[in-house]
Parts: sequence; structure tokens; C-alpha cells
Amino acid sequence: MLILRTLSLRDLHGYGIVQFIQQSSDNDLLVEEGSLYPALQRLELNGWIDGVWGVTSNNRRARIYKITAAGRKQLAVETRQYAKLTLAIARVMGAE
Amino acid sequence: MLRRLRYWVESAKRSEALREEMELHLAEKAAELQADGMTAERARAEAQRRFGNVGLKHEESREIWMTRFWSELVQDVRYGCRTMTANKAFSALAVLLLALGIGANTAIYSFIESILLRSLPVADPESLVVLNWHSRPPQEGNEEWVHVMHGVQGVLWPGDKGAMVSGMFPYGAFETLREENPVFSTLFGYFKGRNRNLAVRGQATSASAEYVTGEYFRGLAVSPAAGRLIDSEDDRPGAAPVAVISFATSQNCFGGPPHAIGQSVLVDNIPFTVIGVAGPEFFGVDPAVAPDLYLPLHTNVLVDGAGAARMYGDGNFYWIEMMGRLRPGVSMAQAQAALAPRFHQWVATTAKTDGERAKLPALILNPGAEGLGSLRRQYSKPLYVLLAMVGLILAITCANIANLLLARAAARCLEMAVRLSLGAGRFRVVRQLLTESLLLASLGGALGVLFAIWGVGSLTFLLSNGPENFTLHAELNWNVLGVTAALSVVCGLLFGLAPAIQSTRPDVMAALKNGRGGGPRRRAQHVLVVAQIAISFLILVAAGLFVRTLNKLHSVQLGYARENILLFSLNARQAGHRAPEIATFYANLRKRFESIPGVSSATLSQSSIISADRAGETYRGTMKIGAVTIAGAGVMLAGPRFLTTMQIPILAGREIDDHDQPGSTPVAVISERLARTYFGNDNPVGRRITFQDEKRDLEIVGVSANLRYGGLKEESPMTVFAAASQFSPDRVTYALRIVGDSLRYVRSVHEIVREADSHVPVTNVVTQAAEIDRTISREVTFAKLCTGFAVLALLIACVGLYGTVSYSVARQVGEIGIRMALGAQRGAVVWMVLRRVLLLAAVGLAISVPAALSASQLVKSFLFETPPNDPGTLALAGVVLLSAAILAGYAPARRASRIDPLAALRHE
Repeated sequence: MLILRTLSLRDLHGYGIVQFIQQSSDNDLLVEEGSLYPALQRLELNGWIDGVWGVTSNNRRARIYKITAAGRKQLAVETRQYAKLTLAIARVMGAE
Repeated sequence: MLRRLRYWVESAKRSEALREEMELHLAEKAAELQADGMTAERARAEAQRRFGNVGLKHEESREIWMTRFWSELVQDVRYGCRTMTANKAFSALAVLLLALGIGANTAIYSFIESILLRSLPVADPESLVVLNWHSRPPQEGNEEWVHVMHGVQGVLWPGDKGAMVSGMFPYGAFETLREENPVFSTLFGYFKGRNRNLAVRGQATSASAEYVTGEYFRGLAVSPAAGRLIDSEDDRPGAAPVAVISFATSQNCFGGPPHAIGQSVLVDNIPFTVIGVAGPEFFGVDPAVAPDLYLPLHTNVLVDGAGAARMYGDGNFYWIEMMGRLRPGVSMAQAQAALAPRFHQWVATTAKTDGERAKLPALILNPGAEGLGSLRRQYSKPLYVLLAMVGLILAITCANIANLLLARAAARCLEMAVRLSLGAGRFRVVRQLLTESLLLASLGGALGVLFAIWGVGSLTFLLSNGPENFTLHAELNWNVLGVTAALSVVCGLLFGLAPAIQSTRPDVMAALKNGRGGGPRRRAQHVLVVAQIAISFLILVAAGLFVRTLNKLHSVQLGYARENILLFSLNARQAGHRAPEIATFYANLRKRFESIPGVSSATLSQSSIISADRAGETYRGTMKIGAVTIAGAGVMLAGPRFLTTMQIPILAGREIDDHDQPGSTPVAVISERLARTYFGNDNPVGRRITFQDEKRDLEIVGVSANLRYGGLKEESPMTVFAAASQFSPDRVTYALRIVGDSLRYVRSVHEIVREADSHVPVTNVVTQAAEIDRTISREVTFAKLCTGFAVLALLIACVGLYGTVSYSVARQVGEIGIRMALGAQRGAVVWMVLRRVLLLAAVGLAISVPAALSASQLVKSFLFETPPNDPGTLALAGVVLLSAAILAGYAPARRASRIDPLAALRHE
């Protein structure tokens, strides 16, 4: 979901995605960076993102990932589910 | 799915891309960290730490696309190929062995299938039944003849409990069963019409004919390739003579089925009109004989003369064969229950005396799907023997492969231990080993297919050396191939699995420390080697027995010349010649043949000597000398100079010559045995033999030496040569005594015959040696095949032995080193190794000698003048096996004796 969200804002290569997530969460979300790649592959297999060769900001060849139409749809679904879940959790926590 | 597939195709590129991405990631991270003030090295390490395990992530990413199973399989196969190429000798050997085993089995089994199991190529063959009858089983050892049968045209064969079985019936039985038949939708009859002279537009050929009733083609439910087939209207006395020809004949004589329709042909000089052509795959009802010509049953009166008409009315003459098609829903047992009483009732009316009534034949039904069983009866047993042998070879092969795999697994023990200790899953390692052995098996299987295709071809060739008109064309059977291929895979699995599981036992430390393989596998290996030796011995004995049989057959004293004689047959009667002119025709031809340059003498007889009993048409009535009946003598109708041409010594008097004309005194030459038996020491020349049925007295003019007459295996019987000119046989076989290549003379022979009468075809052109060998074709084939098998088995067993011994020598390097360091002589070391080889061989022999003794009884009927447990053969096989074993063991033994004790101990 995070990757899709990131890519829905702009096309990025792998490292860029990690950086973006870390920065936008003020380094609260620190994942094992390598885990990104299996995730990217899974998303690509499902047809939610599409990777093409491009050039990074500092002129190195890299795969730049784009979100696809199916990916946006999926993002919407997941966002809704996430909202539901957090709301439910918030309610439970609030009720106590 | 499609995306997955694309990924799979581009997997290498993708994998590379992924790696590059990860590299980039690491580099950028490092650069960022470095910018934050870290040293380059620390930054790189920190980047790695945050990233996690690069290799693992890479793998995980790949797995997203490909299931783990497949990716690992690809890996395994690659690795397997690498180990195979790294170990060429082993892989080549294993693959070759498997290929030979699988190929030979498939070839032989394909043959068995096509001869024994294949159905007739007609619609719904399962509903066809063959009608046979059987006599009562003999009681108290007496042969029981069916006395109601006064004459028979066809064969009888032994059935259950020694009863006689036959498929021949009187015509009356056919008519009776055909009327109001509640169980058959059709009942049809047929009988073999022998070879006929078929003349198409003046060109004469010899064609095999089948007389069929009007219901024949309808009953078999076959459709014509062109025209129409014989129906009931064509098969009645006085109908216009029509013929249906086989597809092959239409192509050979007319250039295709459509051109044959409506053409007029001469069958033994009787005009017939071709009305149809049978389908290309139709071969009649007996796979052994594929008729060229189908004639309506009743036309035999035209072709065979008015005498044949008597056959229809004679209830005691057995000649017609029958097949029926069951009505839907009727079982064979029901049909038999319905028909047997009707046949019994009918056959009882043909019995005239109490003796005949006591022993009436009883009707039985047999499945007709496979056609008539003449080939099956003739070839089934030899083929089963061959199948057994090939099965044994496959067993040896499997044992050997198992052995090789075991040895290799042991050799790779260290490798496996390293893998296991590096964290490979046990299942993963076993799977990889399995993949390797499967790879071997499938390669072997593929090669086996090629070998099988070749084998079927050469087997057809070998077997068809035998009977003429061998129409059986075995094809590679894909079902069989499937089974054998499956067998090879199972073999690979089984023999891959055992060592794989063993070598991955979690006892890693011991293996790592030891460096060489562990112990208990040796016993398994030894058992396998002993089994191989035992089986090889069996096959060796079989080969020895068959070769000995062949030798005996070749060394049989024929009593006449085998080499430099050319034989061929003519049937002038079928081209319209009749007695007495036919005798002159044959005599003149003989003189012209004799004038061919290079032909030293020419003669004729009613058949070749070797096939004399089977060719028929000789005098079979009672012969008497005075009042004494001669028992067990054969009559050979011979032309002038027969004894000279055949180099049969003349012991007294003269041979039959040109002066013995149809009008002159009938003469005979008798063989020595006949003379001894009936005249004692008296001179028989000038005495007389009476041919009672012919009411003729023959004057004995000479005595010949004995000869093997009518087959190699029978003792030389008593022979009476009568002058061919005075008996006028329809068909004669000429024999030319020639110098050099026989083919040179064939053309002259054809020319001379064509000049004399172009309607007479020359048939059965063959050398005397080939004609004789044809009668022992089965023995020749057996000897050839079995020798081949024996060499193969011996080779495989030796390879196995060599492998085992080499392996154990390799494992004992340390021990041998110590022994030699302590002063053991080289000879002692060689002996130490060889002793084990001999022990293995001896155990193998000990097991298989009793097995061979009992198994050889099974092939007893194939042997000639060779006892099944011939001690010479057994001893020879044993010696060959032992020497082969020593040879196989010597190389590793020598290697053992060359071990440098210093190097060996240092290695330890």
C-alpha cells in the first residue's frame, strides 16, 4: 500500500521509494530495505505497477516504476480497508 | 499466467536487472551515508546491513514469479547436466546400458504384440469367433483319430490334454450351421487356395488365392478400396467367375485399384473378371497368409477341376474353415451352447459305423479377433523365450545402473556432507540426486527408442528369413514404448532414491572426517554383482545351447550336395499344360537348362529334397515288395541325372535317365536303408516295388546312398526315387549344378522359360544352401540373437564387476598402502583383489547353475541333438564367465598393486 501510494505521487526507482517512505514518515518506518524488492516483484506480477528502464536524478541507469490503472484501483481498495481498520481500532482504543 | 511465462522466458535478463537494481540501491545508500560523514567502507557495510541479505532477497524476488519447485528443478537439471558431462564415462555407460535394455525389450515386445495380440483390421473384431472342433483326449496313451473324418485338407494341431484340434469342416456342417442361426449375424467360410498362376495381360505371376463364401466380406465388415466385394450372388454354382484382388496386387499388376476393376485375368488359365480391390490394410483372416486373390468358393470347381465338386457333397471330407460374427448381446459361451448340439447332431449323421460314432468331434468356439492362429502357434514360444532373455538383460542393466549409482553416490558422499553442513535441506539434496538419475534414465530412454526402431527392423529381417511370404510387418508399438519408457523412469527413480537417501543421512560429521564413503553399501553392491553374474550365466548357457544346436544342424550329414546348386520351381499345369504333354515340356526345359554355359548338370524333382515332405503331391499310397508292405518310406519323383546333380552316391545299378520315358518300363531307385531293410544282403536291382493305388509295378534299377529327406532333424528315412516323366507331377523344382555366383544364371533361366511358355512363372528361385537354411531359420535366428544377447549380458556384467572392484580398490587405498609398506608383494595385492572377484563370480555361478539346469528344460524343444543340460556347454559358459570376470577384475587389481605406499599413507 505504501509503495502504491508513493508511486501514485510520482514515478520512482527502488531506492527512491525507500527514501520517500522513510522521509515522509520522518524515519518512523524503518524496514529492512531489501524487502522492498520482493514486494516490487509481487506488485509487478499482479500488474499494479510497471517497471521500465530509465535514468535517475544522478544519471544512473535504473528501473523506474510507474503505477498502473489497476494499481490505482487497488490502492483505493486498500486505502478504504485501511481506513476501516484504523477506524475500528481507534474506536476500540477510544472505548476503553 | 501469461506474464509468468514471459518472465520465465526472460528469466536470465530479469534476474540480471534485479541484481543491477539492488546494486544501485546499495550504491546510492552508501553514497548518502558517506555524505553524512561515514567512511566509504563503513558506509558500504551499513548500507548492506540495512538492506539485509542480498542473495536471499534476490531469491525471494525471483520466487515471486516462479514457483520454487520449478526454479529449483531448472537448477537441478543444469547441475545434473554439469555432473554428467564432468563424468562422461559413467554417464555414457549408464545411458548406453539403459538404451540397450529398453530398446531390446521394446523391439521384442512389439513383435510379440503384433504376432500374438493384435486384432484383425476389421470392424468390431471382438464379435468374431472362429469355429474349431476337437477330438476326445487320447485315453491310455493311445492316439485317438476322429474316424468320421475320412480326409482332410488343412492342418490339425494338438489341443488340451493331447486332443486333436482343427478348424476344417465338411461343407455340410457349414450349410447346417448357416441355416437359421440364432447366435450369429453372419457365418462365413473360406479355405486356402494355394498359389495360383495369375496372368494379367499376358504376364504371369504366382499369386496366393483364398476361396471365400459369399458372406465372407459382409461378415468381416470390410469395405473395398475400389469396385465391390464378393457377395452371395457370386458364390453359387454357375455364376460368372469374378475375383477380388488385394490392394498390393492391384498396384503391382494394374497400377492402382481403379485400373483393376472390370479387367479380365486368368487364374490357372481360367478367365475371371476383377470386380473389386480389398482395402490396403486388409490381409484376410490369417495374419500369416495375405492372399493376393479372393475367389468365390464355388469357383474352385472351375479352377481345380470337376473333382473338386465332390468336396461339397462329401460329409466325411474336412476342408472348409468357418468364422462367425456374434449377434449383439450374445456371448461366445452362449453361442457355443447353442451350436455344439447342432453340430453334434449333424456330425452323427455322417458316421456310418459304430467305431466312427464312438469318437465324434465336438465343436468349440475361439475368439476370432486375432485372426487364425497359425503364426501364433508357430512363433509364440520362441518369442516368449526371447522376451524372457531380453527381460533378463533389462534386469542386468537395472542392476548395473543401480550399482553405478550406488558407487557414485558413495564417491560423492563428501560432496553431500559438505552440502548438508552448509545448510542444504535433506529433501533438497535427495531431490537433486533424483533429478540426476532421472536425467540419466530419460536420456537412456530416448536412445532406447532409436535402438528399438532399429531393432524392430532388423528383427523383421531376421525372422522373415524363414517362411516365404512372411507378411507380418511389426511396427514399433507406442504403448509398449510408453511402458518401457516408464520402466526406465521408475528404474531411475528407484535406484536414484536408495543411494540418495543413504548418502544424506544426517551423519555429516563422520563423512566429513572420513573423506571417503561409508560401509554398508558394499553388501548391496555385492548382491547386485552376484545377480548380474548369475543372470549372465543363464543367458550364456542359452546362447551356448542354441549355437551348439546350430552347429549340429550344420554338420548333419545331408547325403547330398549343399553348395553350388540353384533351385527354382515351375507349375506348367496352372498355365494349361496337361499330361502327357507336360512331361515333354518339363523334359525339354531340363535339356535347355543343361545347355546354359556353366551349368554342369540339370535335373528336376517334384520339390526340393529338404522340403519334400511338406510340398505334397507325392505318392502316399501303399507300397509293397511282393506281399510285404513298406512302412515309412518317402517317394521322390526325380528326373534324369538327379543323383549326379545332387552328388548322391550310386551304390548299385544306375540312376534314372533320359531313357525312362512315359511309355517305357516304370523304374525306381531305392535308398540303401530301404534296400537293407527289405532285401537284406540280396541285390535289389531287377526286383519290383508295387505302387498299389496306382496299380503299377516299378522295376528297381539302382540303389542310392541314404539322404536326409524332408527336413534336417529327422533321421534319414527310406527313399524311393521314381521317374518324374512316368508320374507327371504338376509342379516341378529344377536343380542346376552351377559354378560361381548363382545370380548369373537366374536371367538365363527366366529367358528360357519365357521362350518356352510365357504363361509359366518361375518361382522360388533359391540356392540349395539357402533352401536348407530356411528350414532351420528359427535355429539360426535364435543362435544369432542369443549370441548377441550373451555378449551384451557379459559386457554389462563385466562393466558392473569392473565398477565395483575399482570402487572398492579406491576405498582401500589406505589399507593397501599400509600392507605394501609392511612388505606385501604386488602379486599378493593383485591376488587379494582378484580373490574377491572370483568369490563373487563363484557365488553367482553357484546360484545360477541349478537355475540354468531347470530353465534349460524350457527350451528343450528348440534344441537338436543337444541335451538341455549339456555339460560341455555349461562348462564352457562357466569358463567364459570366469575369464571375463578375471579380466574385468584384473585392471583394478593391477591398479591396486601400483599404489605407492607413501602417497597412499600421506593421503590418509
